[in-house]
Amino acid sequence: MRKLIEFRNIVKSFDGQVILKGVNLNIYENEFVTLLGPSGCGKTTLLRILGGFLEQDEGTVIFDGKCIDKVPPYKREINTVFQKYALFPHMNVYDNIAFGLRIKKTGEDIIAQKVNRMLSLVNLEGFEKRNVTKLSGGQQQRVAIARALVNEPNVLLLDEPLGALDLKLRKEMQRELKRIQQEVGITFIYVTHDQEEALTMSDKIVVMNAGEIEQIGTPLEIYNEPENAYVARFIGESNIVDGVMREDYRVRFDEREFECRDFGFRQNEPVDVLIRPEDIAIVDPANAVMRGEVKSVVFKGVHYELMVETRTGTSKTVRMHVVTQHDLYNEENQEKISANDFYVDSEDLINNEMTDQDFVSIANAQAWDIDDRDISLTRISHNIENKPGIYSITFGTDKRTEITVKVYVVHPEYVEDARHNIGISALDFFITPDEIMESMAISTDLKTWASAEAWNLQDDSPVEITDVKFDFDPAEIQEGVYDITFSTRGRVYKVETTSAHEEGDRVGLNIGPDDIHVMHKAVGES
Amino acid sequence: MKSFFRMTYPYCLWIGIFIVAPMIMILLYALTKTTDNSVLTFQFTLENFARFFNEPSFLRVLLTSLRIALVTTVLCLLVGYPAALFIAGRPERTQTFLILLLTLPMWINMLLKTYAWRGILEDMGFASEVKVLIGMVYDFLPYMIIQIHTAISKMNRDLLTASYDLGANRWQTFLKVTLPLSVPGIISGITLVFLPAVSSFVIPTMLGGGDYYLIGNLIENCFVHTGQWNFGSAISLIMALIIITSMRLTKKLDREAQEA
Repeated sequence: MRKLIEFRNIVKSFDGQVILKGVNLNIYENEFVTLLGPSGCGKTTLLRILGGFLEQDEGTVIFDGKCIDKVPPYKREINTVFQKYALFPHMNVYDNIAFGLRIKKTGEDIIAQKVNRMLSLVNLEGFEKRNVTKLSGGQQQRVAIARALVNEPNVLLLDEPLGALDLKLRKEMQRELKRIQQEVGITFIYVTHDQEEALTMSDKIVVMNAGEIEQIGTPLEIYNEPENAYVARFIGESNIVDGVMREDYRVRFDEREFECRDFGFRQNEPVDVLIRPEDIAIVDPANAVMRGEVKSVVFKGVHYELMVETRTGTSKTVRMHVVTQHDLYNEENQEKISANDFYVDSEDLINNEMTDQDFVSIANAQAWDIDDRDISLTRISHNIENKPGIYSITFGTDKRTEITVKVYVVHPEYVEDARHNIGISALDFFITPDEIMESMAISTDLKTWASAEAWNLQDDSPVEITDVKFDFDPAEIQEGVYDITFSTRGRVYKVETTSAHEEGDRVGLNIGPDDIHVMHKAVGES
Repeated sequence: MKSFFRMTYPYCLWIGIFIVAPMIMILLYALTKTTDNSVLTFQFTLENFARFFNEPSFLRVLLTSLRIALVTTVLCLLVGYPAALFIAGRPERTQTFLILLLTLPMWINMLLKTYAWRGILEDMGFASEVKVLIGMVYDFLPYMIIQIHTAISKMNRDLLTASYDLGANRWQTFLKVTLPLSVPGIISGITLVFLPAVSSFVIPTMLGGGDYYLIGNLIENCFVHTGQWNFGSAISLIMALIIITSMRLTKKLDREAQEA
């Protein structure tokens, strides 16, 4: 195939923000090329530079062996199908399609012939006299395609042309576009953020990210051999795990060594390991490489998507004291007040990090009047010190309705999980049965009541606590002491399977050497 | 809803007294003749109309009025279209500012502006028709520019890009895309300039010296100076008919332009 377009080191910035960081790309004759990437990755900018509607800051565009940097858009042998069609509202279907030919002073008989051929190519025979504003989105799109193709350009640019159509029509138009491209045999450059669209239609996909090209390849190459975690995440579903390449054909992840098909990495090079969800086989736990528990099941139509946890995360268990606490009633003021005893981490007291408002919320202190209206707690006094021990705190309203509760200051008891680099802490707490029964989101409330927190040991950044385990029924809670376990996410694999499973099932997972794909870590990622 | 309608009663009363009743009176005056301008003694006649059409000097006044209005409108269009195109091509904020600048003189009373023009043009040696046209164009130009600017700025910018993409250069794009899409603006601009220009009489009187006797002056004269209320009413009615006809005509043109 002959090289038709060459982008050489294209740089473009808007208002000091670099949109394209030196893009190099070759496009050949008769190719269906898709520029794929999230919004803001620079794909549309690149297209507009090729169309001549934008000028690059640096670099050169070579078209058919000639530099076209100084060629105005109307002299380029390129036509565009715009995102919102941009049909001329004052012209009917025929006149819209004939626009380019009339500019070139083509004879009307030849125009009629060409327009009719285009109308049949896009399946719009008989629509000549229709008003374009009265057409459906799909029909307008076909007119836009015909209007561009009738000029017999060497390249057709399509800027997210199916974005405004509904799913069914979009699928139909995807097939249509592919058929049209094969029929007219010219280069199509298609811009989209829809990975499925890219996989369906393209001969070649160019995956872009933040103004740079991440990978160029056929749909199969991009899907099966993504070059890095970004491409793998962008195309298709994926499990991406940190690993270490021990030697050629051997990769270590999840504390186990696996055989694989990859080679050419440095010894012990840190890598990203990609395993597609559909490549993982669910087997009997007895003869599986990994075992885990099904955490969730989502029915996706053809298959189920399971989340299987093969290794639990870091966890911390606390005790929940459920005690009935009677509201104090101040008859003189006709006010009621309530609050719970509570535990405080002495670390949190060091820099006066706890404000009175924090105490109010931990103690769940509330006051209200005879009509059940909330009253603010304005008087708060306590003798809490930054030393383990039992102290007291008094909450009161303006009218001096007061309640005093116990405060247990304790030393921190963190769980530090060096292997996963995660620390987690939570405190015992007191709570009334009513508060548990009234809770709308019990897991979230338990996290709040226990001040449960997890963090990355290296940089102190917060880590999400994904699991809250307890063995009581919130609707029928009795007084007593209960264990609550908070844990972070363990290793979870997304698995696609056609067999039905239920949450809580113990399953085995098998991964073969062909299913493991090792990728270099992206630059800048550790 | 009913109480809402009741709120329009004062307005209806106002219209009734100050618009509907005078119009009926004009109709009545135009179709009658009296000897002493009294409402009590009159007889129906078409004499007033016959008098207007049979007298060449009156028809000449009408033609002059139409000519002045037509030339004003054409000048407004010729000056206003490029201006509107220029404004619509600026960034949003500049557009707002330029439109504000343009409408600023409209906040000043027309008489004051015309007095100012009289002072400026007095010793410059222009023919009185030039002076009248300068004054008229100055006064009516903003209406034209705003209408055309609205039509152009409403247009989808992608259409211009699409036109360049299809091989049209700037001039071809203007002729084939921008101009046809701004026709509704042009037509409403013409309506807003031509109609008031036909019946204007203050500007011609003040800037044209005694040379310009227009239809507006004629009507004013009949009512204020010579006391020929019946004849004045008839001319007013003829003017109203001309205005209504031209309004209908432009509306029809507008509809055809939009359908094409």
